[in-house]
Amino acid sequence: MSDVVVEITGLKKSFGELEVLKGIDVRVDRGDVVCVIGPSGSGKSTLLRCVNLLEEPSGGKIVVHGVELTDPDVDIDRARTKIGMVFQSFNLFSHLNVLANLTVAQRKVLKRSEQEAQEIALRNLERVGLSDKVNAMPAQLSGGQQQRVAIARALSMDPDVMLFDEPTSALDPELVGDVLGVMRQLADEGMTMLVVTHEMQFAREVADRVLFMDGGYVVEEGPAEQVIGAPRHERTQSFLARVLDPTHQGPRGA
Amino acid sequence: MALSKRQRAHAIRAGQYGLLVVVVAALVLTADWEQVRKAFFNTEIAAAMFPNVITVALKNTILYTALGFAFGLALGLVLALMRLSSVAPYRWIAIVYIEVFRGVPALLVFIAIYYGVPIAFQIQFDPLSTVMLALGGVGAAYMAETIRAGIQAVPKGQIEAARSLGMSSARATVTIVIPQAFRIILPPLTNELILLTKDSSLIYILGLFREQYELTKFGRETLSRSPSLTPILIAGLCYLIITLPLGHLSRYLEKRTGGKKISTPESTGLGVSA
Ligand SMILES: Nc1ncnc2c1ncn2[C@@H]1O[C@H](COP(=O)(O)OP(=O)(O)OP(=O)(O)O)[C@@H](O)[C@H]1O
Ligand SMILES: [Mg+2]
Repeated sequence: MSDVVVEITGLKKSFGELEVLKGIDVRVDRGDVVCVIGPSGSGKSTLLRCVNLLEEPSGGKIVVHGVELTDPDVDIDRARTKIGMVFQSFNLFSHLNVLANLTVAQRKVLKRSEQEAQEIALRNLERVGLSDKVNAMPAQLSGGQQQRVAIARALSMDPDVMLFDEPTSALDPELVGDVLGVMRQLADEGMTMLVVTHEMQFAREVADRVLFMDGGYVVEEGPAEQVIGAPRHERTQSFLARVLDPTHQGPRGA
Repeated sequence: MALSKRQRAHAIRAGQYGLLVVVVAALVLTADWEQVRKAFFNTEIAAAMFPNVITVALKNTILYTALGFAFGLALGLVLALMRLSSVAPYRWIAIVYIEVFRGVPALLVFIAIYYGVPIAFQIQFDPLSTVMLALGGVGAAYMAETIRAGIQAVPKGQIEAARSLGMSSARATVTIVIPQAFRIILPPLTNELILLTKDSSLIYILGLFREQYELTKFGRETLSRSPSLTPILIAGLCYLIITLPLGHLSRYLEKRTGGKKISTPESTGLGVSA
């Protein structure tokens, strides 16, 4: 029995004159991993940021775990504790060490005791393989380590769903694997995930479903094997041709 | 004569140094050093100033400055937050306050609080409260702008991360933004402290008891009783005892935060992939 964790219907978002999302429907079921792919500027980040209201939607409806976020009276801070977000640029709190990064919101928002927060933090640091970095400052960590700490920080809030916005795009190639490894393990543990990524191999292996976005719409949606392996739409085909083979000159240029 | 660009730069530099040497030499040679020594370096008068110049005057200068700075910092933070508030009247109040208190001489503020307030409200502040309110009130206007700049310099991603973890806007400001902003503005704040140290001398306008004298008042008072400018020199040196280490600290902090900025997550992460 699958229950819905994220349900987005008719989502629209404009920045002034520019309409970035023109009516998006997405549904993520419990335990599903949904990957969003698409060209730069197609609105992938905007979609993800709307899911926890970092951007305010211009229209449509977003329901996460039964809570309608687009209801003006919703307690958004409370709702956000159940939605983990991982950013491209990590965004670790630069004045706090790793442990404090993981405990600060647990303490201040969830009102957990210091001891409980630390136990949960240590457990999650272990999950991402960084138990030895408890007392390090963010600036002392590599990009890959910072991103894994950021994942552990989000996990420490016990979210129902994790949002990832190109979590490996800012990383050196040799560090990408560590982060993807952690995400793969999360997926195996049954975490519900909505992932914007350019890592086609990862999407193919881990995603239950893949969405291809372009021009403010979801152009194609389906199992990873189909959308990435045998895309039906011409726009998906040319995008994948460009991504999978950067020297390939698509119809609209690389 | 054709000089290369580099040679011309050298020639100009040499000319500037030469001019400097001539000016200094002229000043040294034309000054009446005997008069200067008599006026400023009277060892007897200097010796008579101790230990009070330290135990009373220097101590009071530090006390007044610390009070003014503490009050100014707190009020400056409030003003900075009001200035950045989404509530328009808060912004207006902050802007008016900052413009007014930055625009009028601090001396007028001392007079207004010490002599003006009792006339209007029948409240008489003592000199200590007056120096705190006046010095802090003026300092707050400057510090508010510094703090605002610091808050705005905190990367937006830090706030988004805090909000995404469920922190309210106020909670994120207190827990994440303000601590980071203060790291950024520590060097300019140290400079404000130096300025306040000197402005604490404005307390001379109030009627003070001897034990309330700070450096400038103490120096002037000694001056009026002795035919020498030595007290002024001693007072000046005492100011340097406070301000030189602060200047040093400010430069050190600037270097440290400057070095730190390079290694924030944003820049290392994106820099590597570029
Ligand atoms: N805050 C904003 N104000 C104005 N325009 C914005 C804002 N955020 C995004 N946009 C615009 O919206 C469009 C979609 O941006 P978005 O970041 O969602 O794209 P993306 O698919 O994530 O691209 P990328 O793969 O490069 O990250 C772009 O044209 C962008 O310039
Ligand atoms: Mg993006």
